[in-house]
Amino acid sequence: MADTERLGASGDPARRDAPVLRVRHLTKSYRGRTGLRTANDGLDLEVHPGEIVALLGPNGAGKTTLLRQVAGQLLPTAGTIEIAGLDVVRRPIAAKRFLSVIPQECEPRGDLTVEEEIRGFAALKGTPRSAIPAEADRLLAETGLVEHRRTLIRELSGGLRRRVLLAVALAGPSTRLLLLDEPTTGVDPEARRSVWRLIEGLRARRLGILLTTHYIEEAEYLADRVVVIDGGRFVAQGTVAEIRARLPYGGRLEIRGLDHLTANGRALVADLESRYRVGLKLGNAERLEVPDPFRPEVVAELARLTGEGVQATLAPVSLEDAYLSLVGTGAGFDA
Amino acid sequence: MSVREGFRQVAVATRMLLLESSRELGLVLGFSVIFPVGILFFLNVLAAPDLRVQALVGTIMLDMALLNVNALAQTMGQDKARKEFDLWVSLPVRPAVYTAAVALSYLPYSLAAAAVTLGVGIAGFHIPVPTSTIPTLFAGFFLVWASTLGIGFLIGALGRTPRQINSYAQLIGILLTFFAPVFYPVTVLPVPLQWVAYAWPLTWGSRYLTAVVVGNSGMALEAAAVLAGYVVLWSTLIALGLRWRQT
Repeated sequence: MADTERLGASGDPARRDAPVLRVRHLTKSYRGRTGLRTANDGLDLEVHPGEIVALLGPNGAGKTTLLRQVAGQLLPTAGTIEIAGLDVVRRPIAAKRFLSVIPQECEPRGDLTVEEEIRGFAALKGTPRSAIPAEADRLLAETGLVEHRRTLIRELSGGLRRRVLLAVALAGPSTRLLLLDEPTTGVDPEARRSVWRLIEGLRARRLGILLTTHYIEEAEYLADRVVVIDGGRFVAQGTVAEIRARLPYGGRLEIRGLDHLTANGRALVADLESRYRVGLKLGNAERLEVPDPFRPEVVAELARLTGEGVQATLAPVSLEDAYLSLVGTGAGFDA
Repeated sequence: MSVREGFRQVAVATRMLLLESSRELGLVLGFSVIFPVGILFFLNVLAAPDLRVQALVGTIMLDMALLNVNALAQTMGQDKARKEFDLWVSLPVRPAVYTAAVALSYLPYSLAAAAVTLGVGIAGFHIPVPTSTIPTLFAGFFLVWASTLGIGFLIGALGRTPRQINSYAQLIGILLTFFAPVFYPVTVLPVPLQWVAYAWPLTWGSRYLTAVVVGNSGMALEAAAVLAGYVVLWSTLIALGLRWRQT
């Protein structure tokens, strides 16, 4: 069977929706000076066509190790990885035809123009020679790089270089899985949002996308499904709402300026502290975990606090709250 | 992947890398003209009259082998630092495509350097090189180039960090420059070191070029056979793709 047929281009719905990535019992161990360290420990994961999966985890959790194994850069210790049904370890070249990767902190070659870079990688990824000019034009338009096509890459800003990498990743006739390792690290907020819009726009292509990020906001904006990894193991998987729902409380009441409270304010805060769990106390601020921030009695308590001049805010739990709870690092106040 | 597809990928990748390096004027001039002519001038002044052919051969060995070893290793080091190497590993290409493309992208500069060295040596320093041997010499340049590529690949592939690769490349470069008899006859070395020297492909490259210039076809054939053996050895190692996928 030809590799392209495995994807079910024929229209068979079962095949068309088959996972583009299937990871089974994946384990990666390193033998270091301090003994055996397991970076990935029995991971199972699937990514389906048109799905964006965000991998969240602290530094050293095993995110990049997982991506590097999927990308064929690192050999697993145990377990299997299939891209479009092809085993990455046994048939790396065939599997990589369906794969595109933007490695973490990757810098494209600086002395090529944007168009030369895109054309080169399109050819390397199997685009027929006659189709390369049209594909380059399409990718330049899709990534908003048309006006920079003849600019040397080293003359571009960090955000535009990220777009070049994305254009390179999208080149080629058969990409089905896109791996993005921290795709917006080191770029300014405006450029980050423009990269998000580009990634969001890729849903229409029915690519499966697996991305790692340290930006919770990025996962919230982009991901259909979030996978939280810590200590080499998946500690939670689900939609953003499902991950948030794992917390035993629904909102947070943040109180600041505790050292400047009036007597009434102090009494109100003490009353709240006796009824709600104090999630975090930091300097002259604290966070109370409330069951539902939209319940009238909770809203009324906020009004009473502000009426006494207490600086207080009420918010539903965020993905960040859930993430920090899952990885056990505690929670911090927003700046 | 078919062999034809592999060659197409090598051609594409080489073109990309060549385009990039051609935009670095310092590299082009330094690699192809300034360095070889400078070394030739220096050696020609120092060399005894009967060693001037050796000085010419030694300079060509630098052009075709040592610079390539260093450039290939350093390019792999830079690609690892910029994560471009990871990008290549995740492409549907074999390690040989990447290695061949990096190496081939430096070949035009090496050939230009060898041609400049030969021209300046003959015309400027009146080193006696029979004109009839020039085609054979150029064929030998390719053999020397191919027989030493694997050293650069091994340094680049086995080094984990750019700094490590850089230090290995410097160390091997110094060893190859001063402990391979490219600038002096192998007989100058103490006997134990002669055996070490015969393990280097550079020694055989030097023997080959010297044999061609002085018209010793037996010695040239013997050296060519050894060099071809090195080409097979390196090709096998590159095909195995040492650390292309890390463990």
